[in-house]
Amino acid sequence: MLEFRQVHKTYATPQGPLRVLEDVTLRLAAGQSLALMGESGSGKSTLLHLAAGLDLPDHGSITLAGHNLATLPEPARATLRREQLGLVFQQFHLIPSLNVIDNLRLQARLARRDDVAWTAHLIERLGLAGLEKRYPEQLSGGQQQRLAIGRALAPRPPLLLADEPTGNLDETTAGEVLELLLNLVRETQCALLVVTHSPQVAAPLDRCLRLRHGQLVSSAL
Amino acid sequence: MIKALPTVLATLLAHYRRHPGQLAMLLLGLWVASALWSGIQAINATARDSYARADALFDTRLDQLERRDGAPLTRADYHALRQAGLPVSPMLEGEVVTQDGTKLTLIGIDPLTLSSDNPLAQADTSASLTHFLTPPWQTRVAPDTLAALGIKRENAPGATPRLANGKTLPPLILTPALPPNTLLMDIAAAAQLLANSEAPASGEQITRIVTAAGALSEPPVGLTLTRASSPASPGQLTESFHLNLTALGLLALVVGLFIVQAALGLALEQRLGMLRTLRVLGVSGRSLIVALSIELLLLGLIGALAGIASGVWLARRLLPDVAATLGSLYGAGVGQELNLPWHYWAGGLAVSFAGLLLAGGGVLWRAAHLNLLELGQMQAWRNGYHRQLTFMGIGGALVLSIAFALYSWLHVQPPGDGLVAGFGLIAALLLASALWLPPFLAMVIKGLTHLARRRPLIHWALADMQLQLPRLSLAMMALLVALATNLGVSSMVGGFRLTFLDWLDQRLVAPLYLNAPSTQYDDIDAWLAERPEVSERLLTRRSESTLLAINSPSNSPSNNASNSPSESRSTTLLVELYGITPGASLTPHWPLLATIKDRPSAWAAFDEGAVFVNEQLATAEGLSPGDRLTLSAPNGNITVLLAALYPDYGNPSGQVLMASHQLAARFQAPANSMGVVVHDNANVDALRDALTTRFGLSSDALSNQGEIKRIATEIFERTFTITRALNVLTLAVAALALLATLLAQARSRRQQLAPLWALGVPRAQLAWLNLAQLGGAALLTGLLAIPLGIVITWGLVAIINVAAFGWRLPLYVFPWEIALTLATAVSVALLAAAIPALRFWRASPRALLSEEAHQ
Repeated sequence: MLEFRQVHKTYATPQGPLRVLEDVTLRLAAGQSLALMGESGSGKSTLLHLAAGLDLPDHGSITLAGHNLATLPEPARATLRREQLGLVFQQFHLIPSLNVIDNLRLQARLARRDDVAWTAHLIERLGLAGLEKRYPEQLSGGQQQRLAIGRALAPRPPLLLADEPTGNLDETTAGEVLELLLNLVRETQCALLVVTHSPQVAAPLDRCLRLRHGQLVSSAL
Repeated sequence: MIKALPTVLATLLAHYRRHPGQLAMLLLGLWVASALWSGIQAINATARDSYARADALFDTRLDQLERRDGAPLTRADYHALRQAGLPVSPMLEGEVVTQDGTKLTLIGIDPLTLSSDNPLAQADTSASLTHFLTPPWQTRVAPDTLAALGIKRENAPGATPRLANGKTLPPLILTPALPPNTLLMDIAAAAQLLANSEAPASGEQITRIVTAAGALSEPPVGLTLTRASSPASPGQLTESFHLNLTALGLLALVVGLFIVQAALGLALEQRLGMLRTLRVLGVSGRSLIVALSIELLLLGLIGALAGIASGVWLARRLLPDVAATLGSLYGAGVGQELNLPWHYWAGGLAVSFAGLLLAGGGVLWRAAHLNLLELGQMQAWRNGYHRQLTFMGIGGALVLSIAFALYSWLHVQPPGDGLVAGFGLIAALLLASALWLPPFLAMVIKGLTHLARRRPLIHWALADMQLQLPRLSLAMMALLVALATNLGVSSMVGGFRLTFLDWLDQRLVAPLYLNAPSTQYDDIDAWLAERPEVSERLLTRRSESTLLAINSPSNSPSNNASNSPSESRSTTLLVELYGITPGASLTPHWPLLATIKDRPSAWAAFDEGAVFVNEQLATAEGLSPGDRLTLSAPNGNITVLLAALYPDYGNPSGQVLMASHQLAARFQAPANSMGVVVHDNANVDALRDALTTRFGLSSDALSNQGEIKRIATEIFERTFTITRALNVLTLAVAALALLATLLAQARSRRQQLAPLWALGVPRAQLAWLNLAQLGGAALLTGLLAIPLGIVITWGLVAIINVAAFGWRLPLYVFPWEIALTLATAVSVALLAAAIPALRFWRASPRALLSEEAHQ
């Protein structure tokens, strides 16, 4: 589903080049789940951005659903994101001007995979029934993250990328949201890559890798 | 991705559902910009259509014959010419008054004697010539004259409207090619309509005898021949007036587009998160730009259509004043009914869309070029703004260098050339100043922030102002441009008013002015000479001539060839001749701009046969005192010395002034009017009554000085009605820009203020701080507008006026206008800031807590 081969990434900064990822190689098969742990600044988010085709590696190749992202033009990478990926962020990134139901269906509509029955099922599973006409600002943090997960899963993507999906939530809510996320991933049988520094988030996943100073060092758990 | 476009578009547009203020601001900007621009274009299009019809009718290759002795033409003159075998045709012109008081020009023609290719004879419809020539005759009229006759278009054919004097017009027949406010009929029907108790219809009346252009090589004995090409067409004369209007319209368009760009920038900035999310969800950058462009086009279409509709409404309201201005300034008839060709509508849409593209293009470009990973971060946008400030500074310097190049070019051009370059210079100065304003404000605020670092709240207010600047800068630029233009135009009009009133006082020295039939002046002059209360009779005469040659001596400023003893140029310019009596009451006050040696020498030379010319003629032909002018005269060409130049405001033609007795002797010019100067304490009313009774003068033959000044001042005020209206509207648009910008960002402002409130700063204090921030920025903008406004005044009086009208005005700076500019700037900002500040002040603590939670 997703494969990194000897990926390098460096950013230019006023203080000189900053090496963020160095010789990273990993593979995630369809239906598998993987946690990527590491300290702040270890390169986790960069790796996620590269996996989503939001950024390009300096060296190495990243293959998503059989396509080498490094050689694809931007419109083709956008198409891949639209059709193959679901993304969940720590900051939710909901559209403030769309209500709950429109936010939920947004990516499915973009991917031309809007399924009314599946959306209704998601609404129930996410615990957002009765809140369809509300706007994101009228929801609690947990509700917003659940909505973001629902939006990512609405088109039933083969791969879900999540960046600290519970990082903005309290412990109880985080547990609920994580359980919901994993249940829905199982239900849709999509692959899952989660970037986190929470062992509780990483524990239930199939595998766990740790990044240190841009290099994959070991399995964390 | 095309299939997903509706979803992307709907998502983008959903932003406006939550932020209707921004949508309103965008549409408002487009609407006002397009409304003012299309309103002016509607006026211009209607006026040009009227000119085209007038040109077609009057600039009709007809030479005109008049009696050399100034006496009215009679049918006997016409018969004599026909009997001599000359192909002449009679015309009768007069004025009739409709029941609503509108004055219409009535032209009576004899189509049988007019040459068949003449538009007057051709201004025909399907009606047969017989109907036109025989009772009950026909009245040809343009559709836009029907309103004055109180008749609807569908009822017009065959209608016989009644005039104010009770007479009825012959049956109407519509002739769209005729100019507005003109009635055309057979000369016999016209004679009956124009007859009154003083001049019954005798069939003897003729006002003009015309002949096909070039049909006569020289005038018959006792008559003067005026060639067809001599009258400048109204279209040419009024070109500068319309260019002025267009420039003001363009300014309003630019100011309106500032609003659009501010609104677009704000809408995009607030949607950065949305854009990033859409990109992350798989919408390509190109698709996003396409969707944003479609959004722009949709908004543009709504704004442009609303603007054009309002523009037409505005034009209908302003057209009567414009028509009156053009009539009084240039004698050009303009219809009061809008007549808009198809290209007006297409042009209005095209200009609105082009403006929108210009305003939105930059925003789209920035959105397309922002790094995807930075897209959602405000800081990225802010960094972009800092780069933009640098570009603005560089851009301002480049535009200023263009202004300098234009000034250098204008400097070496003859005075009177470069109207478009003059407007270009003013536009470049405005643009350069507008571009420099945001970097300047940023620099000042940064400096003040540094100074206020020990006063935390002021420090915060200044730092906060720096953060607001990206959103406010466009509205401030619009305010600067509007304020400077307002000051510039107000000072120009104020200065013109002062100069004009002085000039009237200097030229109108007699308390009583007489306008009698030319044959009566000798008798009246002799009678007045015997009256003890009369100290001077200032007889004037009028005629016209052709300026054939100009000879500039080597020491004349108009001789550019330094090593040439003298320079001679040929020309064929038709000029007015005006004769005045250089009496003791007139010459000390008569304004002169330049003289040979000094004023007494100039007047002495004038009395001996030298001439003065008006500023317009001097500017157009590059004349200076000391030049010698050769003029065509009935008894052969004459060469005269040019002794002085004088201002002649409001006259579109070149004029040569000479002593009245010289004009009579050289050009056989008939008397035209007479100023009667009386001794102090003389009874002017008694003299007026005595004159009227003794010579049987009509009630309007005598006017007192006050009446003439009042009428002249009224015409002056009306001339600038539209300028003032557009000026105020432009300032109002700038005020709206500021208000709309502040309202559109009120919500995010509350989010920035809420934490301070949470930290213990009272809401009222925060609201006042908000007002002080805006008021201070506006005050700085207003201060900058002052020197810019003065430079614009200079450009208007020294370049635009000279090029457009041929006269230069002194530069006046009015402290009152400057104070008003500053007060306007601060008031506009405070008014615009008051609503958001009040909202914040009145916001409930719960709402503020909610804002704070969203930080």
